[in-house]
This record gives sequence, structure tokens and C-alpha cells, in this order.
Amino acid sequence: MSSQVSIVNKQKKSKSAVSSKERVSRILHKYGMLMILIGLIILMSFLSPTFLTTGNLLNIVRQMSVVGIVAIGVTIVIITTGIDLSSGSVIALVSVVAASFAHPDTYPFFVPILIGLGLGLLTGVINGTIISKAKIAPFIVTLGMMTAARGAALLFSDGRPIGNLSDSFKFIGQGAVFGIPVPIIIFAFVGVISYILLNKTKFGKYVYAIGGNEHAAIIAGVNVDKYKVFVYGYAGLLSGLAGIVLTSRISSGQPTAGVMYELDAIAAAVIGGTSLAGGIGTIGGTIVGALIIGVMNNGLDLLNVSPYWQQILKGVIITVAVFIDSRKNRKS
Amino acid sequence: MMFLKRWISMVVLLLLTMFIAVGCSEKQQTSGQTGKQSGENKKVVIGAALPDFDDKWLSYLQDGMKEYAKTQPDVEVIYVDAMNDANKQLSQVENFVQQKVDAIVLIPVDTVSAPEMVDKANQANIPIVVVNRIFDGVDKATAYVGSESIKAGVMQMEEVAKILGGKGNIAIMNGQMGQEAQIKRTEGNKEVIKKYPNMKVVLEGTAEWDRAKGMSLMENWLNSGKKIDAVVSNNDEMAIGAIMALEAAGKLNDVVVAGVDATPDALEYVKSGKLKVTVYQNAKGQGQGGLETAIKAAKGEKVEKFNWIPYELVTKDNVEEYIKKWQ
Repeated sequence: MSSQVSIVNKQKKSKSAVSSKERVSRILHKYGMLMILIGLIILMSFLSPTFLTTGNLLNIVRQMSVVGIVAIGVTIVIITTGIDLSSGSVIALVSVVAASFAHPDTYPFFVPILIGLGLGLLTGVINGTIISKAKIAPFIVTLGMMTAARGAALLFSDGRPIGNLSDSFKFIGQGAVFGIPVPIIIFAFVGVISYILLNKTKFGKYVYAIGGNEHAAIIAGVNVDKYKVFVYGYAGLLSGLAGIVLTSRISSGQPTAGVMYELDAIAAAVIGGTSLAGGIGTIGGTIVGALIIGVMNNGLDLLNVSPYWQQILKGVIITVAVFIDSRKNRKS
Repeated sequence: MMFLKRWISMVVLLLLTMFIAVGCSEKQQTSGQTGKQSGENKKVVIGAALPDFDDKWLSYLQDGMKEYAKTQPDVEVIYVDAMNDANKQLSQVENFVQQKVDAIVLIPVDTVSAPEMVDKANQANIPIVVVNRIFDGVDKATAYVGSESIKAGVMQMEEVAKILGGKGNIAIMNGQMGQEAQIKRTEGNKEVIKKYPNMKVVLEGTAEWDRAKGMSLMENWLNSGKKIDAVVSNNDEMAIGAIMALEAAGKLNDVVVAGVDATPDALEYVKSGKLKVTVYQNAKGQGQGGLETAIKAAKGEKVEKFNWIPYELVTKDNVEEYIKKWQ
């Protein structure tokens, strides 16, 4: 899926003739997590008769759209060996600020959207600038942003939800076009754009280069600082977008929204095969990772599994999925 | 996670140290000034340890304290936020003891770690008033101000049973698992359900007090194919999430939804008939009562051990009265 993987595969091809065994392992390598997702879906379909219905499947994707959008931005950050812990808090900040511009008969619906996106972008650019210019670890910088943005969200809203949103704004999270919920369309759009960015542009090549070996990238003449600001800015922009979708979906700006979403997003990226050591990761993998989390959440609710057991099972499934994936990597 | 937690606690600790350093120097200043004016007119300092500034309901409680504090010119209240970390709250209480505040108002993060905090205050002979969350051994504290969580669950479920005519399938939406309000409210619900042989719990899950999560849980339940007659939620935010999911599926008319807290948002839903039941826990009343009791204790006046602030049932019939309270 990633350019890295394909390079590795190409090298193998030149070294030896392609045996059928190798072909199988290559397919496993490329689609391992997708198979785990399909396996989970088949398992759930047997356990719950209502799982495999169009309504429920759309429902799963819609529920995962917010975390999925964040996860795509986080994936690109992680490929550069960075991390973004601020996503959940940025969602909350964007949520309350956008909501306050989305009351009926005040501004047209695109005003809160642009303000929200701009605010998300701003937080990301701040993260990226501090990380690249001040050379502070991304973990610390984004942790600071996580705390500060949550505080700003509470300060702005006085700790209270902001309701009374216009119908046109609510359409983003609650509407549907040709039967497909708008959040899913936005999620798909972000997926396609990010795929192109990462695989068809100079930007994408540099992202993998920075993650593969930052020092080598600098020597090769890549303006690493500039691209880091882009990467964190893009992640911030997507957090802003996720904040707008969430706000519209629940018809209210919530300063407490998005708690722990950054960890769900990181989990989705890692389940999807993104390496925390950098240089490896794909958009498709992350979307599969997000859907695995979504299928688990939905399936366990459908089966009425006790809330205590749900937490344990989720932890086990995530760890086992990544374990299988890492074994597969080692073999090939 | 551990790593993350450690970092967060380190940062908070750093901020806290700074906060205390500033607080101490300020206090010395004020006492110096009042000393010049008159020796008698010393300010009563109350330390208020709150579990979570982010929590909406608790922010109303804090408002109740702040409003009451304004009417008391000789009282200074220091508010600290434990960010839902019991360990952090313990050190905050210890800091209050070190600062020698005149009394402490404590809203415990959880009910297990609270007795130790009460002990710390008792050892230093500082009056401590526990508010909102009750636990075994609360009688060791100077006083308790609050409502009994289980009664909210009972009151809520009894009204739902009345609406359903004593029969039907119930789905229970829990708050954060393991918290006192979640355990007791659900216990209250189930106590009532047991009394009706034709009523049973068909689904139970958690949405962690959160509207978006309540909405997702309800959507999943709707896809489970089980017949649901009522959704009984531990709080209003999750209930509103459930209402939004039911509305989108066109099934709100078939399902009774009940919450607890009577937040301003929820009251609008009661007014429009979408939320059938909620229970008002007097946030401002508890905040005011807690601070009032603490001030009395600080001044050496006698206080009642248990001060119950009653719950009130809110339905469409009396909702206007409660909407006025938030204005």
C-alpha cells in the first residue's frame, strides 16, 4: 500500500523469482488488516442477525467519521515520526467557537465552517512551528496544546454547551445526500485528498523521507522545518473539520467534547499499520483501522455485552490485531 | 497511557506549585494589610476542592458557591481542580492543610479515597464539609451536604413506570462506570424495575456521560432489533444524545426517554415533550449549602451533620418553574 512497501517488494522481486508462497505472504502483508476487519465483520454477522444490514453498516462508518478524519491527519504526523495529542482538545475548542457563529439568522452556514477550519489550522501551525523552530519534542508541544486548547474551550464557553444551531449548519452532521450521510461523504473526501497528497505529490515523498531518515532528508535538501509546519497544520485543519462535523451531529458546541479522541485516532493509525517509529503508514490502512474500532464498538453494543467486558475486549482485540500484523511483518 | 499520565501529572504539579507559591505570598499580603486596619477583621479563608472544573453540572454548583461568597465580604474562597484524579485531590487537600485554611469544602473525586482526605483535615483540626458525593465514614467529616443518588434513580424510574403503565422493555444508559452517581442511579432504577414483573432490562451500556457517545450507543441499540419501550439514562446529556438518534430514526414517539440533572438544555427538551422525565438535583443549592456550612464551621458555630438537599421531579407540567431557575 505504501510506497515503502512497494519498494521493498520490488527489491524482493529482483532478487528471486516470485514463488507462490511469496505471493501469498505479499498479499497477507498488504491486506492483513483488511482481512482481520472482514473476519470481524463475518464473526459479528454470525453473532448478531441485525449486524449485516445496510443501515447498520452506514451507521458504523458514520460513527467513525469524526475519529477517522482525525486519524488521517494523525497518520501523516506519525509517518514523520511525530505525534499529535492535541486533536481531542482542538475538536472541543473548534466545537464551541464554531457553534457560537452558527446560531440561526446570524451568519450564513459557511462562516462557522471557515472559522472552525481556520482555528484548527492555526493550532496545528502553532504546534508545527514550535516543534520545528524550537526543536521541542512533538509529544511535549502537542501535550501543551492539548491542555491549553481544552482550557481555551472552557474559557470561551464558560464551561457550558452552546446550543441553538441553524438547520443549514446541522446538515453537515445530520444530513444525507442520496441516502449517504454527509459525515461519511466528508470522511471519504478527506481520505481521497489525503491519499493523493501522500502518494502523488512532492509533499508526500518528503513526508516519507522525513520519517525514514530526517537527517538524510535534510542533506538531500528537503526543507524539513517547512514541511513539518505543513504536516501539523494539516492535522490541525482535519481536527477542526472533525470538530465541525461533531458539533453539527450533536447540535451543540461542547467544551467537553472529544475527550480521548486523540488516543482513538492514534490507535486507528497504529492498527492500520502505521509505525510509531516513522516512515511507514498509509491512508487506506488507517481507514481500515478506524473501521475495526467502529465494528468492535457497534458489535459489542448490539450483543449487549456488559460495559465492563467491553473495555477489556476492546483492549484485547486491539493488541491482538497489532500483534498479528507485526508477526506478519517479521516473516516477510 | 502511564507515560502520558505521568507527564500530565508532572505538568499539573508544576502549575500547582506555582499556584500555591503565588497564593501564599498573596495571603501574607492581605493579612498584613488587615493587621494594620484592625486585628479583629481577619478574612475567613475556605479551601474548595472540586473534582472537575470541566463538568457542566459541577460548574453550576461552583456558581452557587461563588454567588454565596459574593454576599460574604469577609470570606475568601480558593478553588482547586483535581481533574478527576483522586491522587491529585489528596495533595490539594494536604496543601490546604499546609496553608492553614479555616475550613475545607470537599467534593470527592471518588468515594474510596475521600475518607483519607477527611482524616488529613481532622488531624489538623480543620473543619471539612463534604458536598454532593456520599461515602461510608462520611460521618467523620464535620458535615455532609448533598442529595442521595439512589433516590434520583428511584424517582426517575418510578415516573417512567407510571408512564409505561408498569410494563415494558427498558434500556439503561450508564455514566462512567464505577462512579458513585452511575452505580447508585442505576441501582435505584433496578430497585424499581424489580417491583414490576412485566418490566425488564433488555439492554445496558455506557456512554460515559457524553452526548455524542449516547447518540452512538442509541444508534447501535436501534440496530440491535430489540424492542425498547424506554431509555433510562444516568444523566441528561446522554438522554439528549439518545433522543437525537431516535428522532433521526423516526422512533421517538414509541420510546420514553428519561434523564437526570435538569440542565438548561434538557429542560428545553422537556418543554418540547421529547424528554419525558428528568430529575432536578439542586446544584446551586448544594454549592451554597456547602459553603454556608463551611463558613459556619470555620467561625466555630454548631452545624448539622447531614444536610439533605432534596431531588425534584421535572416533567412537562412543571418545567417552566425550573427554566426560570437557570435564568
